[in-house]
This record gives sequence, C-alpha cells and structure tokens, in this order.
Amino acid sequence: MQISLSAQHVTKRYGGVTALSDGTLAVASGEVVALVGANGSGKSTLSKIITGVVTPDGGELILDGQPVTFAHPHAARARGITAVYQELSLIPDMSIAENIWLTHEPLHFGLPVNRRATLDRTRGLLDQFAGVIPVLDPETPVKDLTPDAKQIVEILKTFSLDPRFIILDEATASLDSQQVNRLFDLIEQWKRDGRAIVFVSHRMEEVFRIADRIVVMRNGQTVGDLVHAGASEAAVVALMTGESADADAALAAHRDDTHVNGTGLAAVRLQVRTLTSQTLRDVSFDVHDGELLGLGGLRGQGQEDILLAVFGAIRHGGAIEISGRPVQWKHPKDAVDAGVAYVPGDRNTQGLLAIRSILENLQLPSWAKYGFPLRTSAATRDAGQAATDLSIVMAGLEAPVNSLSGGNAQKVVIGKWLLRNPRILLLNDPTKGVDVGAKAEIYRLLGELRQAGTAIVFYSSDDAELLGLCDRVLVLHDGVIRAELVRGDSLTRSNLIAASVGASHGSIQ
Amino acid sequence: MIALLLAVVLFFLGGLLQPGFVSVAQAINIIRLAAFLGIIAAGQTLVIISGHEGIDLSVGAVVTLSAILVFRIVNGNNGMVIPALAVALAAGALIGLANGIGVMALGIPPLVMTLGMTGIVQGTILVVTQGQMIGKAAPIMGEAISQPLLGPLPGIVVIWLLVGTLMWMLLERTGYGKRLFAVGVNRETARLSGVRVPVVVVLTYMASGVLSAFGGFILLGFTQNVFLNLGTPYLFPSVAAVVIGGTVLAGGKGSYWGTMAGALVLTLLTSLLTASQLPEATRQIVLGVLLLALLSVYGRQRALRQ
Repeated sequence: MQISLSAQHVTKRYGGVTALSDGTLAVASGEVVALVGANGSGKSTLSKIITGVVTPDGGELILDGQPVTFAHPHAARARGITAVYQELSLIPDMSIAENIWLTHEPLHFGLPVNRRATLDRTRGLLDQFAGVIPVLDPETPVKDLTPDAKQIVEILKTFSLDPRFIILDEATASLDSQQVNRLFDLIEQWKRDGRAIVFVSHRMEEVFRIADRIVVMRNGQTVGDLVHAGASEAAVVALMTGESADADAALAAHRDDTHVNGTGLAAVRLQVRTLTSQTLRDVSFDVHDGELLGLGGLRGQGQEDILLAVFGAIRHGGAIEISGRPVQWKHPKDAVDAGVAYVPGDRNTQGLLAIRSILENLQLPSWAKYGFPLRTSAATRDAGQAATDLSIVMAGLEAPVNSLSGGNAQKVVIGKWLLRNPRILLLNDPTKGVDVGAKAEIYRLLGELRQAGTAIVFYSSDDAELLGLCDRVLVLHDGVIRAELVRGDSLTRSNLIAASVGASHGSIQ
Repeated sequence: MIALLLAVVLFFLGGLLQPGFVSVAQAINIIRLAAFLGIIAAGQTLVIISGHEGIDLSVGAVVTLSAILVFRIVNGNNGMVIPALAVALAAGALIGLANGIGVMALGIPPLVMTLGMTGIVQGTILVVTQGQMIGKAAPIMGEAISQPLLGPLPGIVVIWLLVGTLMWMLLERTGYGKRLFAVGVNRETARLSGVRVPVVVVLTYMASGVLSAFGGFILLGFTQNVFLNLGTPYLFPSVAAVVIGGTVLAGGKGSYWGTMAGALVLTLLTSLLTASQLPEATRQIVLGVLLLALLSVYGRQRALRQ
C-alpha cells in the first residue's frame, strides 16, 4: 500500500470569518503525523478539506503527485481517504453491524453476503479491541452502547473501508488509557501496512507517544512542523499558544498549593455509604470541605453513576449524608437546592441549551432567585460577572451558546453552577475535548473553589489530571472501589494503572 | 418581525387589488377577526415551544366546549358571566391536565394524545347536549367585545393586546417561561440543571387548555350562538399562525408577538381571497399554496441562520 498526500497553503473563509489562512500538511505511507492546535486553530477545517467534506477557497491538494479536488466526501473515500470524527456519525437505532457496513455492505459475486457472514466479520473487527471493551453482540443497537464503545465502533467503521489514509480527530477523547493503548497498537500495525495516519488530539502525552512528526496550527495557519525526536512538549505548547503560559504550568502551580489545604482537619461534607445502582456495588467514601477527590479507572466502571446518584439523577440504594444530615433526593432539583452542582460528561446533550443565549444557559438553575417579574438586569449583571471571571470569549451574553468554541462552551456549563456558590461540585470529565488554554482556566477555578471550601468530586479519563490535581483518587473497577490512592503516598501513575485493570489491593505498592 | 412586515405588505397589497381596502375601519376589522385566532393560538405557542413534537390538537374542541358551557350557564344573565367563565376555564385546565399527564406520565405522543382528547370532548358534548344547544349569550359579552373601548379600538382588540402583554411577561419575565424554553431545547440539560421537566410540560398543556377555553368565551361573545363545530375551523390555523410567527416546530424558540403577527397574516390572506370573488374551491387551493410557500420560506430562513 502506498500513498502520499499533501495540502499546500489551503485557505477557507466562512462569510467574514477566516477559518484557515494557510493550512499546510504532508503525510506519506507508514507515517503518523500529529495535528495539534487550540480549539478554533483550523485543525478541523483542514481535516475536512482533505476528506472532501469542505471545499477549499484556495491552495492545493496533491495526492500521489497529482493535484486533486474532492467535490464530495465520497470522492475522497473512493481514493482511500477517510476520517474518524469526534462528533459521532453513527445511527442510534441501527445495530453495530449495520452501522459499520452501512454504504459498503460485504458483497460476494456482487450480491450481499448472508447475515451470518456479516456478523462474523463484525465480530472479527470488534476482536481488535477484545479485553478493553465488554464482549459486544454485533446486533446490539448503537444507542445502547457506552460512549467509549460508540467511539470504538466509529473507528472500526472507518477501518472497515480499508483506507490508505486515516484522520483520527480527537478519537481518543472518550477512551480510557487501556483502550488508547490498544488503538495505538493498531495504529502501529496500520503504519506497517503502509497506511498514512493523521492524529488530531489535545492530549500532549498521546501525541508524543504515537507521532513521528508534529504539525502545529494557530489562528488558521500551520506554524510548525516538528520531528518528534527533536521536539520538546514545552516547545509544541509554546507554538500552539503563541506564549509560554501553558496547561502544565497551571497544573504544577496547582500542585504547589495542594499541600496548603490539608484535609485532615476539615469537616466531612459528603458521606456516601454502601451506594448501589445498576453498575455500582457497595461504594462508600467521604469527601471533606475543600478536598478534591478524584475518581479514576477504566471508562464505564461506575464513576458516572456515583456522580449521578449523589446528584439524585438516577435510582440508587445506600445512604448519603450532607454535613451529617441524611438526604433522600428524588430529583436533581433537590440536590441543586441543597447546594450540589453537576457538570455532565457530554456538554452538548446534557450541559447546554444549544440555540439559547449564553445568558439563559448560565442562569438556567438560578432563575428562582430573581423573583417575579424576573429582574433581568440583575440576572444579566450576575451572568456578565461570571463570564468575566471565567474569561469566556464571546460576542455578548445574548449570543447563542452554540456560537462558542468547545472550551468556552464548557466554561458556560461550569459557570452556571458558580453562580450558585455550590458547596459540593461533581464533575464528569470536564476537560474532555477542551483546548489547553481553557483547561488551564478550569484547573485554576477548581483551585479557587477548594480554597473557598467547596468539596469536589472529579472524574477524569486523563490520568495526568488525576495525578496532578487530586488530593485522593478512588479507582473503580466493575462497580467497586478497587483502591484509594493518597497524594504524597500511594498516588502514583503505576498504582493508578494497576488498580484500573483490577489488580487487588495487595499488589499496589 | 418578518411576519409583521408581511402583514403590512399584504394589507397594502389588498388596497391595490380592492379599492377601498386600505382604511382605518378595515384595519380594525382585520385585527378584530385575527384576535380570535390569536387568542386561541396563544396556548398552541406554549405547547409548540415545549418541544418533543409538542402540539395541541384539542384546542378546537376546547373552544367549542367552553362556548357551550358559558352559553348554558349564563343563559342570557349578565350576572352569571364571571362564574360561567370560571367554570369554562376550569374545564380547559382539566382537559389540559389530562393531555399533560397522558404525554408525560403515559408517554403518549402529543399528536395522538390531543387528537384522542378532541374525540373524547366532542363525543361528550354530543352525549350530554343531544345536539340541542340550550341557553343564551349574555348581552354584556357582546358589548364588551364589539363596542369601542379605547378610542376606536373595540374591546376584543384591547383584550388581545392584554393577552399579548401577559404572554410576553409569561415567556420572558417568569421562571416558568425560561424553563419552558429550556425544556423545549434539551430536556436532559434541563433536568440536570434542576428543572422538573414533567411539571413544566403538564403546566404548559394546562395553560393551553385555559387559553383555548378563554378563546371560546370570547368567540361566543362575537357569534352570540353556539354549534358543534364552532372551534374546529381554528385548529389548523392556530398551528399555522405559530409557525408563520417564527416559532420553531421542534421547540425551544419562539415568541407570542410572532404568533400575533402570524394570526394577522392568515386573517388578511383569508379576507383578501374572500374579497377576490374567486369560487370557493379555487380560494381553498390558493390559500393552501400560499401557506405552503410561506412555511417553506420560513424553513429555509432558519437553515440559513444556523
């Protein structure tokens, strides 16, 4: 398999906005090129131009030495060029097998092969991720899958086309570390097959593990093309942001003040005993005032259920006490009234009102405090203050929230709870698919809330965040707390990974 | 805004086609006719904003029921108007409550639930009245609606402006209104932000029932008489007025000012066609084609904006 593809000085404007002013990227067989940049830097536009989703205004695409233009994604696909996108393209009501083979059902002498053969082929594809996802029946509807399994089906769907060129656009955002490892094994295999891979990601650690070269974009321009061996992470981040302040510095700064806030003396804010749900079995833990408790482990081991149960959003058994007072919440409203806040894992389907204004998104949980008729000027003033505190980049509070970039939209989801001064903050992977600048803001904010005494429970699929930010980390496996790792003692990367895969207490050093 | 502009353009277009159409008296007449549709479409606006295929097809039946109840209870007696109105509004609220519970608790699609409710209400009316309409509208009702109240404006127009102001307050200046938009856009986001979604939806269907019942009361003041299909002709225009007014059928976005303009546009179209002396069948066809054209233009505009 041979391919070489390059985009040279490609440009694209949407109305008055220049999305891409100089996109340049070259990839050849057996190469993994990482494409990095903050949200809005033009990565997605460049990817879409290469795969024929978007038509460029200027510049050139050169495939195997010949200039090409793709009028339609099908034209690119016919030449073996495909992409796995972060926004899933699967049809919820169709099965795994139907989704994977949609538009290219397996044929035999020009006729569709029988159902059993299709299912066997699907199982063969799913086997590539055996051990890191549960065994899945190819006839399961996609809507019943967890987000990580959906993402894997999305990857397999692309791979089933036997492409020469694959763009992975934030394809690891929903995956846990074991699943990422497996994907990277597959990518190594694809390299040996002679395929070319473009890996788009916000996770520096992954970029440095897998990429041969790193192409950096900023403000619609390609600003650097670095060979992995000679590049430092700091150099890449500096190119991305155009300045030296970066997320790791923020993490490090936060790490310094964790010692200021010892949890030994603070009161227990949240006490959970023998919590059970569909996925949880007998989960018990305490969270203290001003403590940042992490939840770790592979994806889908019950971390989300803990957050939802405490928030009163799912049926559960067991006992929950807030500051020593037992509570029985039937609806998130009860939890909200008691000063609990929840930042959901999927901001578009669970956190935002897409077409409504930033103002209405920020104030949604808080309208009751503005009386009747609503004192809208007060509501606007408070929301404006929150937007300033969070440095949300926006045209104005009346702009629809879906006009914001991913990082700024996530700040709105968090901001609506800051307006209520929560006493307990529950976060479900809040930095997923967020650019480094916004990540740093979120870390800073968590630090401030801890100083103010807020008890925080924080699930992250990014091990580096758990290691860098948390006072303690509970590692879940199969609905059970497998290990409790404490900062300055047992909280190490190797212990975190060991407990994630279900190693017993005894084996953790 | 666009719908209002369209109404003004249509009005002056009427002047070109029909000498003498453009006059203050004619304008007031059109607004008066549009008011009935506008008030009945108020509840429809709320239900459509609530999203999830929200639609209230029982508005016509509730209008009829309310008019019949008032007709019977008042029986020509001015003193009975307020109690009769209270009974009619309560009946509307009850029907809305049943719709809301059917949609939220039993998970019946709104279209099916409210269509079924239409059948139940109409059937009940038939069984109870045996087709005999006994009673009489009170004189004060006709006067309050038809006589000039504010300058040249008749009572009905003043009432409509009042309804419009209250609807604006409800949507833009109450917690309920803000939650209704949220529920219309994304129910999971609303729930996880502490909004009790079923309560908001049930209240919305109740509000629709109450507003339709009020529409029936007003309509009786105008017609002075009741019959079995009194409210039926207002059902589909009530949906069309909402959509022409820019409220998104998928929910979560819209305004009552838009619906008012939509009611004006529809009433103007009908009046122009009536004045055109075309045969009835041709008028129906032309109206249908114009509505299709209007609605598809609105659909396209939204696509461009997003």
